[in-house]
Amino acid sequence: MSLLDFSSDVFIAAFFLYSGAFMLFTIAIMGRKWSGRDPKAHTARWGKVAFTVSSVGLLCHIAYFVTRWMGSGHIPVSNMYEFMTFLSMMVMVAFTVIFAIYRKIILGVFAVPISIIVMAYAAVFPQEVQPLIPSLQSIYLNIHVTLAATGESFFAVGFAAGLMYLLRTVKFDSVEKVDRKQQRLVEFTLFSIIVIIGFLGSVFAFRGAGYETVFVRQNVTIDSPGQENSTIEKVSYKMPPIVAPYHSEIESFQSFLGMKAPLFEAPAWMNGVNAGRKFNTVIWSLISGLLLYGVIRLIARKPLGKAIHPVMDGIDEGDLDEIAYRAIAIGFPIFTLGALIFAMIWAQVAWGRFWGWDPKEVWALITWLFYSAYLHLRLARGWQGRKSAWLAVLGFLVVMFTLVGVNLVIAGLHSYAGTD
Amino acid sequence: MGKARKPIQIVILFLIVLLGGYAIGSSVFGGDGKPKEGSRAPSFELLGLDGQTHTLKQYKGKAVVLNFWGSWCSPCVQEMPALQAQWEKWRDQGVVVVGVNVGEDQMTVENFVKMVGINFPVVMDTGRDAVRSYGISPMPTTFFINSKGKVDSIHIGQLDLSTLDAQIGKLVSR
Amino acid sequence: MMGHAPFIANTKCECGHQNPVGTVLCEACGKPIGEEFDSSENLEMRYDGVARRSQRVNPGVIDLIWNFFSSVKIAIYLIVLTLLGSMLGTVFPQESTFLNIDASTYYKEQYGAAGQIYYTLGFSHTYESWWFVSLLVMIGASLVICSLDRVLPLYKALTRQKIRKHRQFLTRQKVVLIANIEEDPEVWVTRLLQPLKKKGYRVKVDGGALLAEKHRFSRWGPYVIHIGLIIFLLAVLARGLPGLNMDQHLAFPQGEITRIPDTTYYLKNEKFKVEFYTEEEMPEEFRGKKVLPKLYQTSAVLYQCTADCIDPSKEPQLSEVAAHDIQVNSPLEYKGLKAYQFDYDLTPVLRSVQPELINSANGESYGKFMLEMKNPERSFQVGPYTLTLKEKYLDFGLNEEGQPVSKSPYPNAPAFLFLIKGPDLPSAGQQYFYFPKQVDKAQFQQASINDKLGGQDRFLELDVANMSDVDFAESTAYLNIRVDRAMPFVWLGAGIVMLGLVLGFYWQHRRIWLIVSNGELTLGGHTNKNWFGFRREIVSILERVDMAVDEKSLDNGGGLA
Repeated sequence: MSLLDFSSDVFIAAFFLYSGAFMLFTIAIMGRKWSGRDPKAHTARWGKVAFTVSSVGLLCHIAYFVTRWMGSGHIPVSNMYEFMTFLSMMVMVAFTVIFAIYRKIILGVFAVPISIIVMAYAAVFPQEVQPLIPSLQSIYLNIHVTLAATGESFFAVGFAAGLMYLLRTVKFDSVEKVDRKQQRLVEFTLFSIIVIIGFLGSVFAFRGAGYETVFVRQNVTIDSPGQENSTIEKVSYKMPPIVAPYHSEIESFQSFLGMKAPLFEAPAWMNGVNAGRKFNTVIWSLISGLLLYGVIRLIARKPLGKAIHPVMDGIDEGDLDEIAYRAIAIGFPIFTLGALIFAMIWAQVAWGRFWGWDPKEVWALITWLFYSAYLHLRLARGWQGRKSAWLAVLGFLVVMFTLVGVNLVIAGLHSYAGTD
Repeated sequence: MGKARKPIQIVILFLIVLLGGYAIGSSVFGGDGKPKEGSRAPSFELLGLDGQTHTLKQYKGKAVVLNFWGSWCSPCVQEMPALQAQWEKWRDQGVVVVGVNVGEDQMTVENFVKMVGINFPVVMDTGRDAVRSYGISPMPTTFFINSKGKVDSIHIGQLDLSTLDAQIGKLVSR
Repeated sequence: MMGHAPFIANTKCECGHQNPVGTVLCEACGKPIGEEFDSSENLEMRYDGVARRSQRVNPGVIDLIWNFFSSVKIAIYLIVLTLLGSMLGTVFPQESTFLNIDASTYYKEQYGAAGQIYYTLGFSHTYESWWFVSLLVMIGASLVICSLDRVLPLYKALTRQKIRKHRQFLTRQKVVLIANIEEDPEVWVTRLLQPLKKKGYRVKVDGGALLAEKHRFSRWGPYVIHIGLIIFLLAVLARGLPGLNMDQHLAFPQGEITRIPDTTYYLKNEKFKVEFYTEEEMPEEFRGKKVLPKLYQTSAVLYQCTADCIDPSKEPQLSEVAAHDIQVNSPLEYKGLKAYQFDYDLTPVLRSVQPELINSANGESYGKFMLEMKNPERSFQVGPYTLTLKEKYLDFGLNEEGQPVSKSPYPNAPAFLFLIKGPDLPSAGQQYFYFPKQVDKAQFQQASINDKLGGQDRFLELDVANMSDVDFAESTAYLNIRVDRAMPFVWLGAGIVMLGLVLGFYWQHRRIWLIVSNGELTLGGHTNKNWFGFRREIVSILERVDMAVDEKSLDNGGGLA
């Protein structure tokens, strides 16, 4: 068995161990109320088991990282798959650090699934080991990417704690206007997470089924007088096309549930065939997210926030507030060093300018400004509790847009650009 | 710092206004450092076809028509007769036409000058220094520089006889 | 915060200390000032309750401006506005991303009406716009004034701390403990010294009162960050000063020494190399589908001109000063000048040929001569023949009138017109058109041109015998030449920011006050971050003096973290 095969095996092991740990953490918290048990002892015992399992999972994850590094000859953070697997590893590291400080079992219920989701997202991307292109052959690849991901992982834990704070403190039974608004916002946040799960679910379901439909589009551009240039763009849909690319023709179509043609065409402003494909993916994610959400609502028979709220019973809200803040306070200097300072140093060495207002750079700056505002609001304006928790939740949204959204929506110089 | 407080506040605010003004000014108006109408024409030091070194300074007190050209650029070729005609018309009134060849070798320039029959001074910018300092991108580009060494106007593209005449007339009358 | 300060003249505390206007907590004993009623809310400990410089009665214009920038609220607004502005700039690519576009039409063509609006509103150059730069300047001003306004009073307050504080000061902290002590106050306090010191506290005792403090430097963290940011911003500003900054993209044909304009340097591209990953190095999925570059490298030598540098009529004298294999991520560096690998072009560029003059009738060769593309010699003596170069076209073509012209200044299709004089030729000589490149010979029909010029019985031909007689630059490397003299200050600023972040976030300023009197212990604690760890530390310290306290019971609730 080669090193790289071993590497992907332990990665899968880590994935299942995390999933197991998540369930154990949930049992540790939910099982408190089971009859004939001492709640404290139950949580402590199951929590210990859960933490052990998640730690073994982390060890496997680290083994994946080390063996892939050895097997490929370069640090495995050079493409989207590797970066996301690394990010999920660092989320677990950040969780372990914060858990070691605060010993809150409940944190596992919220932080571990973030790592699982990020891992699953990694699997969307091609997994081969790619050799490094010249611009990535630098020691700063190791430093910049790892530090930035570490900082972002602490923000992820801050997000988990912030969300927990909200689930703990929002009055889900109240019908007052303020509370209703909070309930809706929490519900929307949870729904967004479910849409992401829906996206992952549909990607893997259709991939498993081997679905493919191909569209072609002829582009005619007139560059110099009388010179017509026509290029043919081809795009392969891995999900049944509800929406076809603008002005395209079907090359091959695999029917799905009796659907024999795309339902409609992408609007004209969605330039490029890939925009149509991305739009289609968004629609599928929404559909499967809605389905999933509907099913959960049917089972729970109440809004998700309200359903989760009792889980948080007896958790000290002050602690949650502090965990969120602390995680961000630990992550902020690391993020600054990795995502801004080392990014600038690398840009200076590779491109000769430390700052070029590239979209990825700008979004790293936006993330930094956002968390600076968070810290100022908290330290000098006394924003604590709910406002602070919402900022922690929103902040992670900014982080995810910087990591994923910029690549999908805005392309730039950055080498992750142009991935799926 | 108790008593010195007000002066210190004033000094700090003054510095902020100064540096801030510079920052905003240089980003908004600073641009690329290319000469614009009204700004001082950058100096140059180029080898002429006559084997002499020519500088902008040596034409001090004269109005200069500085024309950037290349033998391979057909509008440049087509405007040469107009430049020659105006050179002959205005040379006694303190106007000098200088052709700056961009990046070609002596033989090409010599043959070209012979072919189109011009006799105003021609200099060769082999290292493209003047091109850089004057910020030339398309050719031909002609700078009208007044006797004080300031850029009076800039013309991008081919010149015809009448506009050239009008421009020089304007240059001399000032 | 503005207007929050009570504008009452009497700021004298009951302990007898005269406080400046705007003081929240008495500078001496810590008793809250200016409260009408006894409140039990947690104290506002942000700047230890001292009056900030911006809090004055009857502010003038200067004060108003000062107060504006000294407000954290304004600072947060500035941060948020900058954040939103930055977002706007990423909606469509910025103008600076492109080398050659006409922005006035590009955005409309590419992005339609939205693009047009984007361009018209000036968002296509957001980061150079007056409002964005103004925001950055205002952030800079806010950094300076906010820091000055707080750091000096805070410094004063922290260096002049009294050990014995007002009881209210203690009971209204966020960490509070009130317990009974049977022992003699001074003995009990003395017992506490050892455990406190072991935890790194510096302890001061005043009878039954105690002040323990550690990691005060952490309080300076934010100000160090702000100083670093100011240095960073000033350095960025200084980059734009004339002479401190140079940025040009230049072409360096292989094997040639090329002058770097505006400097006394010359750079020779000795060899440019581009390598691709072999099939074996690629993952199986990519083989035959993708080509990945492995290396771009320009082996460069840097020369400095030592004499005859400016005079264009003389050849400059050069001496080698540096040599480096320039790669992406590995620029050449010499005294602040840096050369970065930027781009390349593998099209060979012809430099010179050495054609041979041959008698096509009998195959006799008269010898060869060196014909340079740039600045060729004008006449050549080959055997008994004299060749005079009459015309030269680097990129041969015909204009609208059918006359031969050069279409560009690059030797894409060089052509030369010679006048040959010598034995068996007309006395006026014979014209001969020569295309060094084989493709051009065929395309422009060299033979038939020469047949027309010299007649059917012409017998002289120019030809290159073998490839060793052809000299060309195999490729051209494009390097980005930069000088950036303000960079060390940019890094200095960034380094100071980092130092401040580490000081401020990874250490916390912790203080414990306690008073033991009348058999009662009153303990108050304050930290600027991490209350959880602080409470745990207090519990472990009290354990050492056999006092069991629950962590959570120390929490006085609310207040500021």
